[in-house]
Amino acid sequence: MTGDVGVLASGGCHIFSGCGFPAPGLQDFEWKPLFSIGSFDFTKPMLLAILAALVVIVFFWVAFRSPKLVPRGMQNLGEIAILGVRDQILRPSLGKRGDSYLPLLVSLFFFIYIMNVMELIPIFQFPVTSRIGFVWPLVFIVYFLYLYLGVKNQGPWGYLKNMIPPGVPAPIYIILVPVELLRFFVFQPFTLGVRLFGNMFAGHLLLTIFTLASWYLLSLSVGLVYAAGSFALAIFVFLLETLVTLLQAFIFTTLTATYIASSVEPAH
Amino acid sequence: MSSGNDASTQAQKRAAAEGRAQGLDIGWTVFSYLLAGMAAYGAIGWLIGRAVHVSLLFPIGMLVGLAISLGYIIYRYGRGGLGGTASPQDRGGHRGGRPPGGDKEMSGDR
Repeated sequence: MTGDVGVLASGGCHIFSGCGFPAPGLQDFEWKPLFSIGSFDFTKPMLLAILAALVVIVFFWVAFRSPKLVPRGMQNLGEIAILGVRDQILRPSLGKRGDSYLPLLVSLFFFIYIMNVMELIPIFQFPVTSRIGFVWPLVFIVYFLYLYLGVKNQGPWGYLKNMIPPGVPAPIYIILVPVELLRFFVFQPFTLGVRLFGNMFAGHLLLTIFTLASWYLLSLSVGLVYAAGSFALAIFVFLLETLVTLLQAFIFTTLTATYIASSVEPAH
Repeated sequence: MSSGNDASTQAQKRAAAEGRAQGLDIGWTVFSYLLAGMAAYGAIGWLIGRAVHVSLLFPIGMLVGLAISLGYIIYRYGRGGLGGTASPQDRGGHRGGRPPGGDKEMSGDR
């Protein structure tokens, strides 16, 4: 990590010691390369993304490499994970016949969740999805999938036509066309990606601010009280983030399921 | 008796999950409409304003777009009529057409 955070963490930079509070900022999301191959820099978030993918792959491989009729151990956990995604995310949007999308949604949910939860694991301490470059590829996968499904199932013209519900008067229809087109092709994928990124970015920033402030305010003065308050808030934000990491993965996957559902059949 | 209660609890959980999915979908669709309305008519206003040298048409376009979006959101979702709020069960088991893989149930379904 670059910036002032490392300096603050390593030194005795406290309140009343003549050093100002180096507030965390964008610089705390920039990482020095772990190594470089030519002009390509391999950074910590990339390593964490690969680790997250490996965790998901290895977990499900171990769980289902020799499945038994009566599940035990890891298979039990794997089935709970899959059935959780199926019953809470897939079925409510797609119904039973959408089960063929289960592998996609399970992979998406757990990959995003593990990338998010890296924020809370000591040593890693960075949510991969707080770098928007890691979010856009996921959004593009979902975007192109539901566009493809929409065109395949409804035809190009039917897909466009069904964006606006029937029964809308013709003049209103014309007024709505630019809004619908922009909403569908630009803002729907945009909000899908930015929400995940924004939540994880803000959460990491809050956690960094309160953790650093606890250290910075720590001194044999009134600062001790503030340090205790900041530390309590850091704990609170940490607990909140345990929920947010899960919730953001859930929202992304649920919206993916609803977008797929509206592509395979017009929702209105 | 208890199996009846179990079935009722399952149905309640399913209904709650469907409600959650619909709520998320509608919530973010509404948000996208607000942005899209402002962006679409803001852009149209900006283009016309550029042509006729009236820069005020850009913010006016945005406000008009916002009004159109709000009106449409109320029309579509306000009375619960047009929002595509039918549950997957109401749509013959799913909201989708016929995804590949069809009716297959998971083994170990419970």
